[in-house]
Parts: sequence; C-alpha cells; structure tokens
Amino acid sequence: MLKTRVIPTMLWKDLSLVKGIGFNSWRRVGSVMPAVKIYNSRDVDELILLDITATIDDREPDEETIKSFASECFVPLTIGGGIKKISQIEYLLSSGADKISINSHSYIDPMFIKNASDYFGSQCIVSSIDFKKLDDGKYTCFSNSGTKNMNTEPVEWAKKMEQLGCGEILLTSIDLDGSQKGYDIEVIKKVSDAVKIPVIASGGAGNYEHMISAIKDGGASAVAAASIFHFTDKTPAKAKEAMKDKNIPVRDCFKVNQ
Amino acid sequence: MSVAILNYGMGNTFSIKHAIKSLGFDAYIANNPSEIEKAEKIILPGVGSFAKAMDNLNTRGWTPEITKLVKERKIPILGICLGMHLFANSSNEIKKTKGLSFINGDVVKLNEIGCQNKLPHVGWNEVKLKKDLILNDIDQNSDFYFVHSYCYKNLKDDVIIGTTNYGVEIISIIKYNNVIGTQFHPEKSSLVGKKILKNFLEIS
Amino acid sequence: MKYCSKCIIPETRPDQFLDKDGICNACKSYEQRKEIDWNKRLDQLKEIINKNKNNSSKWDCVIPSSGGKDSTYQAIRAKELGLNPVVVTATTCDLSDLGKRNIINLKNLGFDTFEISPNPKIRAKLNKLCLKEIGDIAWPEHVSIFTIPIRFALNYKIPMILWGENPQFEYGGPNEKIHSNVLDRAWLEEFGGLLGMRVSDLVESYGFDHRDLYPYNYPSESELSEFNVMGLFLGHYEPWDNLRNAEISKKNGFFTFKKAIENGYFDSEKLDNHQHGIHDYFKFLKYGFGRATDQLCFMIRRDLISREEALDYVKKNEGKFPLSYLDKPLEEILKKIDMSLDEFKKTCDKFTNKKLFECNQANELNKDKFGNLILKKIDN
Repeated sequence: MLKTRVIPTMLWKDLSLVKGIGFNSWRRVGSVMPAVKIYNSRDVDELILLDITATIDDREPDEETIKSFASECFVPLTIGGGIKKISQIEYLLSSGADKISINSHSYIDPMFIKNASDYFGSQCIVSSIDFKKLDDGKYTCFSNSGTKNMNTEPVEWAKKMEQLGCGEILLTSIDLDGSQKGYDIEVIKKVSDAVKIPVIASGGAGNYEHMISAIKDGGASAVAAASIFHFTDKTPAKAKEAMKDKNIPVRDCFKVNQ
Repeated sequence: MSVAILNYGMGNTFSIKHAIKSLGFDAYIANNPSEIEKAEKIILPGVGSFAKAMDNLNTRGWTPEITKLVKERKIPILGICLGMHLFANSSNEIKKTKGLSFINGDVVKLNEIGCQNKLPHVGWNEVKLKKDLILNDIDQNSDFYFVHSYCYKNLKDDVIIGTTNYGVEIISIIKYNNVIGTQFHPEKSSLVGKKILKNFLEIS
Repeated sequence: MKYCSKCIIPETRPDQFLDKDGICNACKSYEQRKEIDWNKRLDQLKEIINKNKNNSSKWDCVIPSSGGKDSTYQAIRAKELGLNPVVVTATTCDLSDLGKRNIINLKNLGFDTFEISPNPKIRAKLNKLCLKEIGDIAWPEHVSIFTIPIRFALNYKIPMILWGENPQFEYGGPNEKIHSNVLDRAWLEEFGGLLGMRVSDLVESYGFDHRDLYPYNYPSESELSEFNVMGLFLGHYEPWDNLRNAEISKKNGFFTFKKAIENGYFDSEKLDNHQHGIHDYFKFLKYGFGRATDQLCFMIRRDLISREEALDYVKKNEGKFPLSYLDKPLEEILKKIDMSLDEFKKTCDKFTNKKLFECNQANELNKDKFGNLILKKIDN
C-alpha cells in the first residue's frame, strides 16, 4: 500500500538557506548545499526546495545553482519559486527536478497550470497554496511569499487548481509556519476532503504528534516540515518511526548499519 | 558498453545519468536519433503526457530508429514511467494516441481500472516481484517511488513481473524479451531502484 | 550581498539581520550594553553562586576550556567570584603547540584540570566526512566542546558550567535569544553549528559505530533530569571583551602567535587547532567573509579601528586559500585526516557560493596562481 511521506522543506532566499516564522523574520540558517547533502544521506522520502524571493524579485529561477543542488540529490525533488514559463519547467525537469511547485503565477495566469499539466503531466505539477486566517476568522490565500492577499478561500482555490490539472497540493499555513505549534488541521481536512488529489500538509510541525495528526485527523497524504529539522534534533526517520507506531504505513529508510 | 538515455524533450535525463554514474557505469544522453546507432542498451525516460511524447518521438525521427534497434537488433530497452507506457499499442491520455507497440497492451487512467484512491498515485509503494534477472537481489515487497496517473490496462500474465496495490492491482514492472519497463522511477527509488538499474546494465 | 553600515559583517552570516538603516543586530546588541544594568546582572550571578555554596570541598563549577584566552579569563574570574572550578578541556581536532603550551599554562596558574580526548582516529574520520558532506571540518569540535563538559558535570554532579559569551548577543541571533543566560540542549540543537548533521546521521547514514560516538552525544533528557546542571553564559553577567580577556590572560602567562593568524587580524585567538584555517576558509566560501572580518567588527564597535581601515585590511588579507595555519602547511594538516590536496580543492569548490565570487563565461570560479578566489564586491 502507498506509504505516507515525510518531506523536509528547504527555503532558499538570496544566497542562503533560511527559515522564518509566519513567513517573516527570515533567519539565515546556513547554506543550502550541506542541507541537501544531509537529507540525501538520510534517504528521505522527498525533498522540497523553494526559492522564496524569485517572484518578489521578478527573477528567473537560478537554474545553474538548482542544477548543482540536484546533482547532490538522489531523492525525489520538488523545485519551486518564480516558475512561470513552460521552458523553465522543461529545464528544471531535465536538470534533476521531479516535480515543480507553482504558487504566485497560478493567480496571475491560472491557465498556466492547465498548460503545464497538459504538457508535462499532472503528476509533476504541484500547486503550492499559502493561506492565512484574517481578523474576521475567514481564511484567505496569499501569494508572493505571503505578501499579497489574493482574496480567495483555500478550499475553493485548491478545487480550482485540481480542475486545471495539478497533481498535488502543497498546503502551507502562514500563521503557523515556523511556530512549531502544530499544523492547521481544520484547513488541511477541509482541503483534503474537497479534492481527489494528494495534499501535503505544511507549516507548523513541532513534534511527531503534529505530523501524525495531519495524516490521521487532517487526511493529508504527506507532511512537509522545516523548522523542526533545522532547529531541533528531530529527524524524518524518527518521525516515521513515530508514525509506524500509530499504524501509519511508512517506508523504511536505507540505513548503512542495518 | 554504450548506454544511451534518449532525450526526446520529455524526460529527467539528468537524474537517470546521475544515478547510473553513481553505480560506476557510464551512459550518454542522445539528443537526436542518429546518436543511438551504436547503442548497446537504451533507456527511455518519460515525464509528461503520452500524446506529447509520441508527437515528439514521431516528429523528431526517433520512432523508426528505436523500433529498428528494439525489434530488429533486439537491443535491451528500459522504459521508465511514461517511457514504459510508450511501449504500448495506445494510450488515451489527453486523446487516444498510438504508441510504439512493443508491448501488446493499452494505457489508461488508473480510475479506469477501478482505482478509487487519490490520483496521481504519488509516493512510495511496495512491489510484489516475480523471479527475474532484472529483479536479482531485491527483497520482495520493496518500496519504489511512483508518480503517475496512468497505467497499463491489459497485459498477458507472462509479461508482468511486478505488481503494486493502490486500491487495485497496478502493473508496475513489465518484461517482454528485450523490452523492460518500470512504472516507478528506479533512479529515484533509493538503493532498490539503483539495483534495478544495475541489473539492467549488467544483463546481456 | 549587503554589509552592515556600521561594522563590516555581511548579511550572509547565519542569524545576522540588518535593520532598515542597514545596521546589524550585533552592532545593536553592542549599543544595548549601555542600557544594561551590569551591576544588577553581576549580583544575579553572585546570588546564584551563593545559593549553591556549601562547605563541601567538591568542585562547584566547570570551566570548559581549550586553553584559549577566553577560558583562561573565565577560570581566573571563576576563582575571583569565589567558585571552586575545575577546568575541563576537550582536546581540539589538531592541537597546536601553542594550544598545548596554553593548556599547561592554565594548569600552572593553579587549577584542577581534566583533559578529555575523544579517539583521534574517529575524530579524523569525522573531520574528513563533515568537511566533505557539510563543508565544516570542525563539526566534531563544535559538538564536543559542549557535550564533553556537560557530561563531565553530570558525572561529577557539578551544578554549574560557566561558558563565555552569549554568541547570539555578541554576534547576532534571534531577538528572543540574545538575552538568554542559559546554554542547554535546545541551545545546542539550534545554535551549536551542527549544520543539520546529527549523531544519528553518522550512525545510520555514514556507518559509524554508535559506541565510537559517545563523546559527541549530548546527555539525554532522562540523564539530565537526574542532576541539575546549569550552563550559564558569563557574558550575560558582565560585558564580554575579547581584548580584555587577552590582556588578562597574557598577564597570566598566555602565549600568542606574535603575528596575525593567517586570514585573521588578532594574534591572540584561534591558536589551539591547526584546522581553524580550513574552517574559516569554508566560512569564506559559503558566506563571503572570514575570521579577520569577525575580529575587525569587534574592533569597529569599540571605536578601535575605523570602518575604512577595517575594509582595507580585509580586502588585502582575508579569504586567501589556506596554504598554512599557525605556520603548519596545508598538506600536513590534510595528511592527518587522510585527504589529498586535490580532494580538498574539489570540496572547496563544491561548497563555494558562486554568486559571491567572480567566475568566467563557463561559470567556473576565477582563481589566481595561489588558488585564491575573488569576491565580486566587498562592502555596499
């Protein structure tokens, strides 16, 4: 049967690996290369690498650098950040990426999602949706690394992206991101129930129970996390052990000393 | 040994070459049909839609070259994911399209064979293996990395050497003489995936 | 790459922030010193010390030391504060003669001293692996300078470890951590320079025997719960000053290099480990600045050198390919970890952030005849 995935996320800003809280107060954690190598050596289920200022800076994806990261990576790799052309996707897929994540441009040109899915197949197009709770209690999507309110409700947007052909939803709570307080289970569940494509829960993981909850209570197919892996001694392998204990099917990672 | 990875504009050629290199073998990326003349083994990758892929193969002159090498010279060919689908008679992805017809079967969307789970089928899943050289030294029910929404619909039993459960039984590895295909991505499937690549590179 | 408009630290340094005026958080922390009631903080430390005081003859404080100027100062200060310290040295990866002499000097000043040396063969393997995998040769040292003293304190039931400066306050860190007085397991995980490498990775992914890695394991929660060891930053209770530490240590017999360390500015720090040069060089490759910048920022904040002079020095003296360190040639340093010069150069290139350095048309790094890279720009 299909295994639940634990996916470390790496956020890339300018020249560094970063992590923020609430998509703000970005801390430079180090450089991307060591992180790629470590996660690769841990034989993680998948990796996500997002260039978080490509759209804001109106910049092309840094294909050379991405290629240098992909060359250290044997695990399935999702790349995102500033993607708005078919040619960019083509280059990235031929340079080591397995899936492409699209966020901001999907609001500007939703048909781009359809075109990309038709061309490359829905399985390699991930729609990245960042959402926040407003003062009135309603949820809304944000683009441009959490800076532009798109006045769209995440469930509706997820359904639209699914209709246009994307293969997965990467669903991130801006409020909880970096907080290590837990995922937004309510929204995860609403989106997972509304779409027939896999949902990756993101934003807020602080311990293994949070991840288990995102799967069992939220109905997510996978969990993504960053802060927990950068700043604590928790690892993807231990997360999967904890999930296994709760009868969530997971893959055993390759261990040298087995 | 000359191993060609076909670049017909739709595949993760880099990842495959990278994985092969890490095994200590060498492979080259063939950018046009004339470059596979002397190939002793071929790898047909595939990321994208069947219709577009066949269109590229046909318009760029790949189809006759590959067919010649595979059917006449019996060169071993490994098709990965969409690459494996292209061996079929046809697929109805986007629109009904004729395939290379190396394998007597058709490709359909997973829900057409009764799969009611979320699609695409993405992530790690077990493969039930039959005995075969290509599967040497691989544990039964090992997990491989899948990322697809389409699959083979109807194949003869003797062509199927690996299956996977995703609500329904999916054909995950096929072999018909010199034509081998994996639904999953061996180049991204950790050690077991690399073993499949290694076995393919080592079979004569 | 933006630089602080006051000192010369670039924003590429992890946990460095520039505010809207372009001033870095370390400079701002330094300015905050004026507002801190240092007397009050020192009283707080004295209170903690008094609370733990009893008539026992046992050690009541661990001073983690490499024999450097800071820990020499910390040891002297601990005695002044009425503590009964034991100096615990976790041997460095490639202990220099200067380092040895300074450890002996510290002992001879009159301190109970323990020197704990993890298996040097395993150490050398870790140095090489960490250099190749995460671009940090000093990983085993970064870890063991914390784990060894804490384990010692636990074993001997010593209630306090007196560390030096709070690095988040001195050099930059998240706001909520700059006034922390405590160093604990969570601190190590967040700030201990682990670059994501965990002991569990070494066992599971790289084939080390877990028994060989005991010195690198921070005690577990249950071990820590058996006896309360408080790790305090001395630099939280009194204004930290590297130069003051150097002066006091020198007065007490501390040996210096007598000239600036390679790629550095001072002659009084980073003297105990020949691998420092490689560590600092990789910092340069990843972030575009090195040891001289760190040391000169310290000087600028105290108005001991102008920003222009500092920049001038850095342009001429920093970021050179580390042909030697403390006069020991690179090849000899690499021999200890069984690494060829060629392998070393390839590893350097792998971790170089090409965006910071000049490259040719084919996106290859431009190097001069000594192998030195050229920063695209220095300063704003």
